[in-house]
Amino acid sequence: MKNIIGLFMVLSILVILPIIQIVFAAGDEPEKYVDRRVEIWNLFFRMMTVAFVVGAVVSGTLIWLIWRFRESNPKATPTKYEGTGELDK
Amino acid sequence: MSGHSNWSEWVYIGVVVAILVWVGAEAWNVERIIDHVPENAEVIKVTGQQWFWTFEHADGTIEKGELHVKKGIPYKFEVTSKDVIHSFNIPDYLVLMDAVPGRINTVWFVPVDAGQFPIQCREFCGLIHYNMRGTLYVEDGLDR
Repeated sequence: MKNIIGLFMVLSILVILPIIQIVFAAGDEPEKYVDRRVEIWNLFFRMMTVAFVVGAVVSGTLIWLIWRFRESNPKATPTKYEGTGELDK
Repeated sequence: MSGHSNWSEWVYIGVVVAILVWVGAEAWNVERIIDHVPENAEVIKVTGQQWFWTFEHADGTIEKGELHVKKGIPYKFEVTSKDVIHSFNIPDYLVLMDAVPGRINTVWFVPVDAGQFPIQCREFCGLIHYNMRGTLYVEDGLDR
């Protein structure tokens, strides 16, 4: 439990608090006209970057899992059910 | 299962929550920034009806099917409709706002490039929706 609390503290310091700070500091910039094209396309590109990174991590994890835990992997170890007849029931 | 470690699941949940918070905060922030209309924006009343656009400037000038604006000046569109739902769209400037009867929706922009740009209806509004077009003329004006 301590680890989990620690993890969330680290996450909040690294990720969440800076975001909150950026969000609430926005609007304090000197007066100038916003080009909505720049803002919207920048948001789109940031979101696409995140989407592709998440996609790569998720699909990479799945590919690794399937490769690592395939039956024919020399490093594969039998589960505790194998050979007990438990799975045949 | 007693005693099994679930720290990796908590890491997963933490990462997912952090990403969702980030995505939400970024999108909300950008929306907030582009929704903020400059105080000196000139108001143009935009009325959609089957199947053309009418533009009324602050000085009372009315244009139909074409809109003349000056480069570098912020404009606030007050968009409404006389009949069915339309959607006022200037693709080159990412201006898009529904025109709804009985409602006034607002959207603003600053033209930064002189030239001609298409205006179109972006909500299917009947038989001649495809031709409910106009032209935005951005003329050189006060640069800021």
